[in-house]
Amino acid sequence: MDEFLRLHDIHKSFVGVYALRSVEFVIRRGEIHCLVGENGSGKSTLIKIISGVLEPDRGQMFVEGRPVDHRGSAATMARGIQVIYQDLSLFPNLSVAENIAIAELKEQARALVDWRAVRRIARAAMDRIKVDIDPDALVGELPIGLQQLVAICRALTSDLKLLILDEPTASLPKRDIDNLLAVVRDLQRHRIAVLFVSHKLNEILEVAERITVLRDGESVGTLPRGELTDEKLVALMTGRTLSETRFRLEAPRPPALLEVRGLGKRHNFEDVSFEVRKGEIVGLTGLIGSGRTELALALFGVSPAERGTVKVEGREVHIASVQDAVEAGIAYVPENRLVEGLIMRQSVADNVTVAILDRLLDRLGLLDLQERARKADAWVKALEVKVADPGVPVQTLSGGNQQRVVLAKWLAAEPRILILDGPTVGIDVMAKGAIHELIRGLAGKGLGVLLITDEIPEAVNNCNRILIMRSGKIRLALDTAGIEAERVQKLVEARS
Amino acid sequence: MLKRLLRQNETYLVILIAVLCVGITLANPAFLTFENVSGFLKSSSMVGIMAVGTLFVLILGGTPDVSFTAIAQVVEYAVAVLTLRYGGNIFSALLLAAALGGLMGLVNGVTIHAFRVPTIIVTIATFNIYFGMMYVITAGKLINVVHPMFKRFGGILLFPETSRIGGTYGLSLMPLIWLGALVLGWLILRRTFIGRSIYAMGGNETAAERVGIPTRRTRVFVFTFVGILSGIAAVVHLSIVQSVVPNIIVGHELEVIAAVVIGGASVFGGQGTLTGTFLGVLLFAILNNGLTLLNFSSYWYNVAIGVVITAAITISAYQQLRQKRTRVNVKVEA
Amino acid sequence: MTTHRRGSANRSLVAILVGIVILMSALNPQRFPTLSNVISMAYQLPIIAFLAIGMMVSMLGGGINLAIIATANFTGIVTMLLLRAMAGAATDEASLAISLLAMGGGLGAALLVGAAMGFLIAYVEVPAILATLAVMTLLNGVNVVITRGYTWSGFPPFLLGIGNGIVGGIPIPFLVLLGVCLVLGVVLKRTRTGVSLYLLGSNPVAARYSNVPVRAVLMREYLLSALFSALTAFIMMGQLNSVKANYAESYLLVAVLACFLGGVDPFGGAGTLSGMVLAVVILQLVSTGVNLLRLDPFFIQAMWGFIIVLLIAANHFGARYRERRRLSAVALAEPAGSTPPAAR
Repeated sequence: MDEFLRLHDIHKSFVGVYALRSVEFVIRRGEIHCLVGENGSGKSTLIKIISGVLEPDRGQMFVEGRPVDHRGSAATMARGIQVIYQDLSLFPNLSVAENIAIAELKEQARALVDWRAVRRIARAAMDRIKVDIDPDALVGELPIGLQQLVAICRALTSDLKLLILDEPTASLPKRDIDNLLAVVRDLQRHRIAVLFVSHKLNEILEVAERITVLRDGESVGTLPRGELTDEKLVALMTGRTLSETRFRLEAPRPPALLEVRGLGKRHNFEDVSFEVRKGEIVGLTGLIGSGRTELALALFGVSPAERGTVKVEGREVHIASVQDAVEAGIAYVPENRLVEGLIMRQSVADNVTVAILDRLLDRLGLLDLQERARKADAWVKALEVKVADPGVPVQTLSGGNQQRVVLAKWLAAEPRILILDGPTVGIDVMAKGAIHELIRGLAGKGLGVLLITDEIPEAVNNCNRILIMRSGKIRLALDTAGIEAERVQKLVEARS
Repeated sequence: MLKRLLRQNETYLVILIAVLCVGITLANPAFLTFENVSGFLKSSSMVGIMAVGTLFVLILGGTPDVSFTAIAQVVEYAVAVLTLRYGGNIFSALLLAAALGGLMGLVNGVTIHAFRVPTIIVTIATFNIYFGMMYVITAGKLINVVHPMFKRFGGILLFPETSRIGGTYGLSLMPLIWLGALVLGWLILRRTFIGRSIYAMGGNETAAERVGIPTRRTRVFVFTFVGILSGIAAVVHLSIVQSVVPNIIVGHELEVIAAVVIGGASVFGGQGTLTGTFLGVLLFAILNNGLTLLNFSSYWYNVAIGVVITAAITISAYQQLRQKRTRVNVKVEA
Repeated sequence: MTTHRRGSANRSLVAILVGIVILMSALNPQRFPTLSNVISMAYQLPIIAFLAIGMMVSMLGGGINLAIIATANFTGIVTMLLLRAMAGAATDEASLAISLLAMGGGLGAALLVGAAMGFLIAYVEVPAILATLAVMTLLNGVNVVITRGYTWSGFPPFLLGIGNGIVGGIPIPFLVLLGVCLVLGVVLKRTRTGVSLYLLGSNPVAARYSNVPVRAVLMREYLLSALFSALTAFIMMGQLNSVKANYAESYLLVAVLACFLGGVDPFGGAGTLSGMVLAVVILQLVSTGVNLLRLDPFFIQAMWGFIIVLLIAANHFGARYRERRRLSAVALAEPAGSTPPAAR
């Protein structure tokens, strides 16, 4: 039997609303399979059904040919299926060895802990995928790439037959992604099937053998890698086709909005000098650990620089706090939208106006609530945030709309320079394109944009210049005219 | 090795305690004598035992338990009254104390897990229930006469010596019971699965559930354990003072919690050691004893503790701030 | 908390309130539903109200103020010290000017404590529970050292008037409470600090990244909380005509309870004045009603515990019920085929 898992005619709805409809899904033994789909396509629900957290309303599931008739995560683990969620489910206060071995210890159900056994279990798991992490290190102190490997090691301690990775590469730098993919191929050699649930198109096409696309709760197709191109995949996921034109700077040599000279901060970046001119979208890229985000945080006043000068519109500014930066006309849209960009339980309107509260005061020094509501409405409309009532909590919005709220917040502050850090991370393909349109529109209106991104194609398509950082310094500045993404990728990864 | 030692909270505590000891001894040589040390160890045994329970609650995560002193008070009363009426020996008294305390702790644990309410809120309620009911039943009477077994038990001395004025002193059993509680706590936290589960839940409770750790059982265990320890602490107290004053034990909850926190337990859960807890209680005991020996009135005790706590948390927070600022985010190369 | 969720939670509180009024009136038909009783409750309510509100203010930003009562006692002690310094032994005859000066000094002392806590929490970044625990312990010690455990009494007529006076049939402390609540309502909803406090409490990181001056807001938060300690102190001094080092210690936990009941999120970012007021009124009604039954005070204490458990249970089941109703309302509203966020 070549099939490990089969889902047949699966239906699932919540409170009268369909999440999955007539889904057919097969995973073969030892294959690397990818499940793709936009937000709301039903991916998470499907994973929860496979892992036993949810039970389908209709349909059947077969594991190794046998029908599955009981649920619960313990039963799933017994069937050899393990899920690693995006949050990794690790214990930051416990050691690597203990994190790896804890599931196994729970299974053994022994009252006492044999520490030698713990080390043995951990070492065995790490050896299986040829990784070597200090077993006594506290997981909370490891970088996220290593944490992910620890999570995989834990999954290996049971009799693993199918490993499900939910959006594993969302926040990994390229080097760690390569490590992870190597580990996944290794698992394959052990006849362990791996199911990737992913957004990032590049890795999918690189490593998957077969790809299943979900759209609006239905499985739209399962295709082998060879038959799929980027465009075809996007078309299946969205039902539409997407093409992007390159961004070009029209005006000749516009005035500089932002001039940075000799900026430095110990252990962060050194001797950084560059400019952003009116109407430009300047890309800033480099591997994680290159200092890009640190540079942005210094310009934004979160973690101020120690040396160097910054000029905005020709005037020198001293940025020691976020308030300074905003006053100087600099805005920063953070990469981690959920934690750093939005206040989830507060309303859309509250989030949109949070940065300009000091500009909404009336004669008595109190907040003018009507003005605040007006401004919120205006910006929600301007950025086409799809929400019926700006009073709902922002956590109820989709990823793309949430990003629009963050942008609205900063545009309301009328900045001169907009720093965007990974603005389309974790956003659906169609929404990505819309955000890019938005950014280009802003540049067109005369803003200077600094676009920090990991995705080279995004940089090449949307920036007229790219700065490449490595080890805390800007190594290269390129004009994007006539350059292909592959060439830039190579330059980013080059050693010197 | 040295670096790891320097990063640990306990090291600083040991240094602080050492400094204090030296300072106090210089001012009053009677401090570092066997008689004095065994004396203050004995009188802090009750708090020390309760601190072990508090440590468990803090590691588990969330807000602290404030009912353990009420449990101890109730048990002290019950044991005193019942032994007077029905006799028995010290072992049966301890057993009764552990059972009664454990039962009250069990109620805490079950309620906290069932309603998913912060621990502090539930234990405020149970504090009031236990303490109030006790007062109603006993009408707030003091008990001046207790079963002689307690005097005997409290009076057992190891390494007895005769003091210059004719009395005897030595190492009482009470600090040994405290040590026993510490060792038991260590064994549970370090060598049992349920102990590791407590750390796991404190570190990431959702992950603990996903891995299959029985969260309800672990939580109920922690609070039952707190109850048992509080009961034993009550018997220890009874053996030391041989009387029951209805509100002498309650009121020290925040002090115990402070001692455990100074000892390195994090208020956010998932961290804390028995060594640290012991050192924290020891620090407070030495402060108290030092003040007495240096002829400060007992009024200064709170001030002294307040200063120490403030200094400790300020230093700790400042250190973390500096660490954050000088963290190597990028290996800057030429 | 979105307004409609707070509205329905308030409705549950109102229901509980009405239920308790009926219950207490039934148990005590002669004494409970009388005007003199209402007035008596109106005198007592402000003390616990100010404490609870002061606690709420500290919780809104995600912290807690364990030193709230120690600060109140400290205020009272400082006020008496100043009275003695200015009026000698005849503190109970001190003039209005001297009374006001002394009260000003007491208020200043409270604000100093608030500033110290604010500094530790905002600038040194000590966790609030630890910082306020330390300050509480220190203040308790200082209070004891200054008073040597004695109770000080003999407050001047102005203060006694505030505590016991009555204007137009309404007790002055209650009027003060009303006035303060009105002002606080404005502060919370319409000042930059107030609004920032809720944002900060919900997500301090995002608030910082969104141009909210976090440190300044936290500082003001603890100053405000300390202000409420001072207000509590003035009413207490006025009503009891005395100060003591460890007065009202047990009220600390009652304040925390009131916040919980009033819907304040202990992690920050949620809590309304309306919820707090309802919670405090409920607690006062229960307290008075139970006292009137002339029960053993310790039986009353035990009963409080049971009532808290009942309230917790009611809250728990009430929240589950509301959540179920909300989900089915969502299902009715959304068109078929779309996926609500909760379902993903």
